[in-house]
Amino acid sequence: MLSIEEDYEALIQFLYLAPVGLAQTGSDGEIVMINPISAQLLLPISRDGNLTNLFDVFEPIAPELRHLCSAFTGSHGMICDALRIQITAGMPGKSDPQVLSLSLLKLDEQRLMAVIGDVTLQVKRERQLRQNDAWFNAILTGISDYALVRLDKTGIVEDWNASIGRVTGFTRESLVGNSYSLFFPTGATTTESLQDRLVEADANGWSLADGEQIRSDGTVYWASTMISPLRLQDSAAPDDAPQDPSYCLIIRDITDKREASENHRRATACDHLTGLANRHAFFDAAAMELERMRRVPRPLSLILFDADHFKKINDQYGHPTGDAVLRELAVAMTATFRQIDVVARVGGEEFAILLPSTDLSGAMLVAERLRELVASQVLMIDGVEIKYTVSGGVATMHDNALGLDVLMKRADQALYAAKGRGRNCIESWCAEADTKGPRR
Amino acid sequence: MNNASSIQFDRPDLGACIEAFTEAELDELAFGVIGFNSDTTVTLYNTFESKYAGLSRERVVGNPLFTTVAPCMNNFMVAHRFEEAAAHGTTLDETIDYVLTLRMRPIKVKLRLFAGPGSSTRYVLVLRSL
Repeated sequence: MLSIEEDYEALIQFLYLAPVGLAQTGSDGEIVMINPISAQLLLPISRDGNLTNLFDVFEPIAPELRHLCSAFTGSHGMICDALRIQITAGMPGKSDPQVLSLSLLKLDEQRLMAVIGDVTLQVKRERQLRQNDAWFNAILTGISDYALVRLDKTGIVEDWNASIGRVTGFTRESLVGNSYSLFFPTGATTTESLQDRLVEADANGWSLADGEQIRSDGTVYWASTMISPLRLQDSAAPDDAPQDPSYCLIIRDITDKREASENHRRATACDHLTGLANRHAFFDAAAMELERMRRVPRPLSLILFDADHFKKINDQYGHPTGDAVLRELAVAMTATFRQIDVVARVGGEEFAILLPSTDLSGAMLVAERLRELVASQVLMIDGVEIKYTVSGGVATMHDNALGLDVLMKRADQALYAAKGRGRNCIESWCAEADTKGPRR
Repeated sequence: MNNASSIQFDRPDLGACIEAFTEAELDELAFGVIGFNSDTTVTLYNTFESKYAGLSRERVVGNPLFTTVAPCMNNFMVAHRFEEAAAHGTTLDETIDYVLTLRMRPIKVKLRLFAGPGSSTRYVLVLRSL
């Protein structure tokens, strides 16, 4: 039998050696207990060399933490789960971007527990996997053809290549001097999103995306596009005359691979009932959009929809019918919103739509369009006619200073107002709503 | 000869003093001493350090410092400095502000890092800030 003292020492050593960062803090972030791996990971990012307050340590790289915790309304529970926090940007080909993973668990009103890990290698591996995927795609599809085109720093096509003609049908005259948005159907891109991909290519060495594209004759196909920066290794060029960056865009028609890649995406990012993005995918997409807003401020709108009196539908017709109604609602949403909008089921009968580069009036317009569409429909489910309506709340922000939580809260307040007005309507957030209580 | 217990942490020739001390004298010091060899195995662990870390000497001596004794020092601020000094065959004597997690409390300390090309033992000395 070990004595209490020996047990205690073994426990201390267990905590010293645990290969993951653990810390316990007060609700204000003041560190009460912390293990060595935490110190190893946090000291290099602490501006004043202190480990007194966890929020202070993370302030320069994850300023949202304090707010995230104060906005968490539950008495206990997971505040964030493996939130990825990028420490350094890294240098392509030189050093990897360093990324920490942070989970925060609220134990009670006074105590938070933090789990901190270094996921730099994991992130790198994921990146490589995605890159490998791209290459495997290229090899395994028995690819018949690809198109290659050069873009300037603003995404304008600089030259034409015969391969482009073969794959997309565009002629030199119709392409050169135009934005590469020509390759995408209306609603699949915005000016900003096209620019984002170039920025991402600079940051990561490449930008890869699968999606619908359009040929010159208007037919749609499923394509994989890779954009990578062209670094002109011209030693003759003097250093003091830096050349504008340009990019290489490769388009591959992978229509026959679409099902396989869609299946994979569905399994990880989709709500099983409706096929819309799930909550996790929604927050992922939102985080990426906020990051883009940080680089280039632009409006971002959020609509929250709630099916009115949905409990009654479930009670009256049964849950299978309720599920069918939600699926119909998802279909209506997919038809109404653009491809670039993120349409997600975030709760039982709650849906969130993120509209990049969209101001309040634009978001109100499209939200109203969905409301009208739903109100005008008569669903036939198992031989029963069902009519239902939705209410919506809209909020917009113009830079990322507010953060997603505030945007969500505002849209929720607007939704609450719409419900209060008698449902089957859309409301936008207004400042006075802040003084009223939340919906629940 | 000075009494070991009165040796100041900031005296310039502290490295030479530590090397000359017997284990009994090291145990009288008012700051922590961790000595380790070229493959980072801990060879010395004095009483002060043992008391404040809450670990007995037997649990520490013979174990690799940066992976199983003090993983918190396995970063560019501490471990990397020793690696650099060894790689370049230079003398290391630097004092840095640091935070150790002694018994899971964040404690502000000064670390004095010693390594000399002529000596097989490297030292991390730990002074608890007042």
